[in-house]
Amino acid sequence: MIKVEGLYKELGGQPVLEDISFDIGTGEIIAVLGLSGAGKTVLLKHLIGLFRPDKGRVVIDGVDIDSLSEDQLLKVRCNMGYLFQEGALYDFMDVFDNVAFPLREHTKLTGAEVASRVREVLKLVDLDGIESKFPGELSGGMKKRVGLARAIVLGAKVLLCDEPTSGLDPIRSHDISDLIRHVSQQIGSTTVMTSHDVNNSFRIATRIIIINECRIAAIGTAEQLKGSQVPFVREFLQATTA
Amino acid sequence: MIPRLLKNTLGHLRSIGEAIFFLGDIISLIFRGRIRWDDVLNQMYEQGVQSIVVVMLTSFATGTVLGLQGFITLQRFGAKEFVARLVVLSLLREMSPVFTALIFSGKAGAGITAELGTMNTQDQIQATRAMGVDPVVFLVVPRFLACVLVLPALVIISEILGMLGGYMIAISQAHLPGAFYIHETMQAVGYVDFFSGFIKVVFFAIIVGWICCYQGFFTQGGATGVGRFTTKAVAYSYIAVILSNAVLTKIILTFWG
Repeated sequence: MIKVEGLYKELGGQPVLEDISFDIGTGEIIAVLGLSGAGKTVLLKHLIGLFRPDKGRVVIDGVDIDSLSEDQLLKVRCNMGYLFQEGALYDFMDVFDNVAFPLREHTKLTGAEVASRVREVLKLVDLDGIESKFPGELSGGMKKRVGLARAIVLGAKVLLCDEPTSGLDPIRSHDISDLIRHVSQQIGSTTVMTSHDVNNSFRIATRIIIINECRIAAIGTAEQLKGSQVPFVREFLQATTA
Repeated sequence: MIPRLLKNTLGHLRSIGEAIFFLGDIISLIFRGRIRWDDVLNQMYEQGVQSIVVVMLTSFATGTVLGLQGFITLQRFGAKEFVARLVVLSLLREMSPVFTALIFSGKAGAGITAELGTMNTQDQIQATRAMGVDPVVFLVVPRFLACVLVLPALVIISEILGMLGGYMIAISQAHLPGAFYIHETMQAVGYVDFFSGFIKVVFFAIIVGWICCYQGFFTQGGATGVGRFTTKAVAYSYIAVILSNAVLTKIILTFWG
């Protein structure tokens, strides 16, 4: 489903990602972990073409997305959902219009069908009944849920979540992690999420990628990483689970 | 020192190049019909509402001041009857287009930059792209087009209010008959006077819309950045309007006298 080969990216003259390569199969949930500033978000933005690689390539569903023009990329993105760290909801629209936005842009559904689909996804993220609220009236966790609803409303084949649990208390983090797993399974999407939250990532991800100093330090299942002999991986896991 | 200067110069040249491409992109999208008319109408309402009261007050005050100064000066030469011509020609050719454009960039233009800037710092512009929608079509074209449509309308309102201010001074201070003042005003205005002001205002609208949308769309640096880029947008708009007015006035006078 997703193939990353020899990805290299510089920002402001400094390398952020070097020689990043991995494959992700359909339906997998991948957690990308690493220190702050390790390049997790930059990696995620490459997967949806918001950043273009300096070297290497990103292939989604057989299509090298770096070879596409911006207009072609916009079409590819209709099959992808991206949950931004703070939700990135339009603050001039209420929750209903935010979630309905992709439907109105990319489908020919009637007003009633749009309303029905919006209510359906809001129910899926446990937020039914808040359609008329504006983003400024929502808590951080609710914004993320609305952002998730908007990301999946078109039935994303690929779901990308940038730090979905950051800034949330442990209970909300647990809930939203479960929600991502549940939603991914419900809509059958391939999911990649970046996180600092080792416990929840290990709980819901099928595989985990750990990035250190711009490169992949380890990749594998939770069990494989727990037994890793890579010094950084051991240190990272000990520090975050202590 | 020299490498830093060179780096800064190259940075500025790159920014100018980006800004020109940005304008080219907007104009190409408009000519390709990628216009969301509902959003344009919403923006026209927003921008009009933001500026109209200040434009009306300023224009009325400008008209009264023009009338008063004109009357005092012309009276010395026994030519106070010409005050209507002085007021209307000053308003149509220079005052209304320039003052309204400056007010518009300070109110609606600043609003555009702050709004787009906040959206950019909160990832809303990237989110638009991530949802498969071109943010220039969705966010920039409606704002830009609204500028081009609203500013000329505001200028017409400004001209009417300015003439009203001059009229009130003429009848209350200069004791000219109202009908005479209106007749003189109608006699003084030629197509050239109206259209020279109109050409200017369309040009100013493009400049203000372009600068304010560009600064907002590429705002960086969180809340501080929004403040900084908004201030920059207003300052650049003021400078561009005033300088281009000098150039346009020369061109128009050369061709039309």
